[in-house]
Amino acid sequence: MKNSFVELSGRDRALALLDKGTARELVGPFDDMISPHLEPQGIVPESDDGVILMKGQLEHKNALVISIESAFQGGGIGEVSGAKIVAALEQVLKDNQNGTEIYPIIILDTGGVRLQEANYGLLSISEIQNAVIAIKKYVPVIGLIPGRVGSFGGMSITSAILSYLIATKKARIGLNGPEVIEQEAGVREFDSSDKDLIWDTLGTKQRAATGIVDEIVDDSVEVMRDAVTAAIAEKKDAKRTEKADFYLSLLDKLDMSQPLNTTEYRQRYQDVETVAHPIIDAVSTNDEKPKSRGRLWFEKLTGIQNAETNVPTVLQATVGGKTYIAIVPDPKNRFPRVQNGEAGLQEGFAIANVVNKVIKEDADKDTKRPIILVVDVPSQAYGYKEELIGIHVALASSAAAYAKARQAGHPVISFIPGDAVSGGFLAHGLQSNRMIALDDDSITIQAMSKASAARITQRTIAELEEATKHVPAMAYDIDNYEKLGALYKLVKDVSSWDANDQAVTEIKKIIDEAVESARQGENNLHFRYETKIAKESGRVATLKMRQAVADQWHVS
Amino acid sequence: MEKLTFSFKNTKPVQHPVHVGVVASGDLEVIFKPTSAKETTLHIVTGSDGFKEVWQNVLTRFFDRYPLLADIEINDFGATPGVVNLRLTQAMEALNDEK
Repeated sequence: MKNSFVELSGRDRALALLDKGTARELVGPFDDMISPHLEPQGIVPESDDGVILMKGQLEHKNALVISIESAFQGGGIGEVSGAKIVAALEQVLKDNQNGTEIYPIIILDTGGVRLQEANYGLLSISEIQNAVIAIKKYVPVIGLIPGRVGSFGGMSITSAILSYLIATKKARIGLNGPEVIEQEAGVREFDSSDKDLIWDTLGTKQRAATGIVDEIVDDSVEVMRDAVTAAIAEKKDAKRTEKADFYLSLLDKLDMSQPLNTTEYRQRYQDVETVAHPIIDAVSTNDEKPKSRGRLWFEKLTGIQNAETNVPTVLQATVGGKTYIAIVPDPKNRFPRVQNGEAGLQEGFAIANVVNKVIKEDADKDTKRPIILVVDVPSQAYGYKEELIGIHVALASSAAAYAKARQAGHPVISFIPGDAVSGGFLAHGLQSNRMIALDDDSITIQAMSKASAARITQRTIAELEEATKHVPAMAYDIDNYEKLGALYKLVKDVSSWDANDQAVTEIKKIIDEAVESARQGENNLHFRYETKIAKESGRVATLKMRQAVADQWHVS
Repeated sequence: MEKLTFSFKNTKPVQHPVHVGVVASGDLEVIFKPTSAKETTLHIVTGSDGFKEVWQNVLTRFFDRYPLLADIEINDFGATPGVVNLRLTQAMEALNDEK
């Protein structure tokens, strides 16, 4: 195609958007900033780690284009590429705070987390989301999804947080790729060989009709440039993560036992009558509830027995000046894909409502109340209807709410007695400025199950397990996770299923310390870079990248 | 994955760094950097093991025609000799463009 934007490489896309002769690449191929995690796994690295930063002007306005190269490892976000994006966005934030307007544009062409650097990918993506939310107070953050890979995984959660999304018809947008859903939930849930179904469900046309994408453009450099310029001039803001009541109203009317096709969903999307969906404080009941580590600790920390709210999978209560939130299993839930405690549509939107209410209630208070996340999420929900409706928007809504709360001054503390996996962890956990975990073998902390990760990266499970021995970010256990340096504390002498009185007292004390630590620190996620472990080993590549971007930001 | 190193007694120093290509399936990236050394050194990381001799031949043929003196890095994701030659030629053209 003549002047196609899609067919350009990641670097040429960035150059094509900016005014001729104004572009300057930051931390490019000559700076030797490759991923240190790929070669130990026998994977060829790329000199820019698949992310291109191009600073220049767009119609005479300062702009930074962040372009993800999908041809390299599917545009997956690893430690170095992720830190590159975060560092650049934080410079954009700083400039805007200091009165120099600069507009960030993100070209999304990515499968999400780079599975070969799994837990680094998740950390980085949460840090990207945090920076985007902070920048949106000053300037819009425009996203382009030209297509080839499209936008998937954790970066789709990011896409929902961006101010405005422009896509060509060659793009697809979803949280879980069809292959992963097929792997996790079976071929009857989503047939990954049915290309028509995939495009009808995840393709730009359907997405633009149902609020996931804001504008469809032809695949041409000029058209793309004009669309971005107009979006910036008009200060577009889709406020996609502020529609929890709309979606919860939509979900009320849905019969999960019946199939839902794309045409019918478009109609339902049009017909929604939005009503408020407040989530009540959990109350004690006499009914025995399904056991989970998340429920156990929520009940012990709040003193509420057999806790129950009006959303069966979301517990929340304010006790002793702190708001506690947990996602719990519900074996009879009408959404079958969240019955084991996964984070799904309802969970994301309901939590967003809880957290946004807390922010509002404390808006005029000098001291903002702490929000304590009890984290036990085995994954996000893998389902066809979840993708059709846009589960990534649900997870983005809760992630954005937590980030806003933290940025407003609420200490946001994650306590992890259970699993912390993938999109579930991004939605409920990774936006906290202090993370406390139990040193317990039962905890899984990762980006994807072994079976799915092996399938997507075209390795055997044995090869995958071999790789985890060399790269801690690939591992599934909390002890390897500690090596990344992100934890405030790993509690050695308390186990996940034994919440005895002494253990509960100890955890409460540690939470109080974490709250105090958060109050004294900054409202961002920098704590993760500043622990002893982070500095010495866990985030060395991240810190090096942050320094390089800072050094090159102002040099002309 | 295999790491290969080659040296060539080349004579024409490059003046600017250049970069072409992507580490995509069947493709590679090539980086030329100016050097103060007396010979051209190539550091190659390739996803396809066991092709040292093929690399030697492709590179010898290229440098026989264009004896560029530089530090060269190549990250290869299974490119054919034809693609390798194409990317090297593109890098050389990019050098000429900058003059």
